[in-house]
Amino acid sequence: VIWGVLQFPGSCDERDALHACEVVGGEARLIWHEDRDLGGVDGVVVPGGFSYGDYLRAGAIARFAPAMEAVAELAAAGGPVLGICNGFQVLCEAGLLPGALLRNQELRFICKQADLLDGEGNVLSIPLKHGEGRFYAPEEMLDRLEADGQVAYRYADGHNANGSSRNIAGVRNEVGNVVGLMPHPEHAVDPLTGSTDGRQVFEALEGFAA
Amino acid sequence: MVELEVEDPERLGELCEKLLANPLIEDYEIQPL
Repeated sequence: VIWGVLQFPGSCDERDALHACEVVGGEARLIWHEDRDLGGVDGVVVPGGFSYGDYLRAGAIARFAPAMEAVAELAAAGGPVLGICNGFQVLCEAGLLPGALLRNQELRFICKQADLLDGEGNVLSIPLKHGEGRFYAPEEMLDRLEADGQVAYRYADGHNANGSSRNIAGVRNEVGNVVGLMPHPEHAVDPLTGSTDGRQVFEALEGFAA
Repeated sequence: MVELEVEDPERLGELCEKLLANPLIEDYEIQPL
């Protein structure tokens, strides 16, 4: 799989995302936010950070970047798209994923390791670092997401540090090729940093690559 | 509060809907000055 990793002014996790894509056996290249052409990549990672300084709201400006037009086209064609932290916020603002991310319940920036549950009952140990990671959606939308299997990752009991609705840490679109989550799987791919569980998040999307 | 100088005030609603507000989580009102 050839991954493109978007880079906005204010991105800060794109290098780790590049590394993670390579660790799971793919190739990866950076894509500048002004590039309308993704250069033929199979999938895209929208990384974490503070795109455009989080002005207005996190992700609100980045969603209008030229590269995001191409990401929307790739997503519509069924290509894999992974949004991490700020990337998740961008994908929600772009309407590629449902819901929104609000300030953490305790109004503090969180930086800690957390256990996540994927849809198959596996427990993944992955770090969190965010100030606006509280997943929100209206109740009827939450019901629909659960009924349609669009909840990709949940915080394990006792690990929902930001107060997300129904312990939701990540969601997917209806097709499943677009996934966003607040925890950082790209920081959990090397035993040196304590966990390699993040690899599974990348590998879960590889099947959507053409 | 976001203060804007715009050429076409009639587009403010569209601006709010598309950029300035996230209707899922925010309410807004437009106040011409």
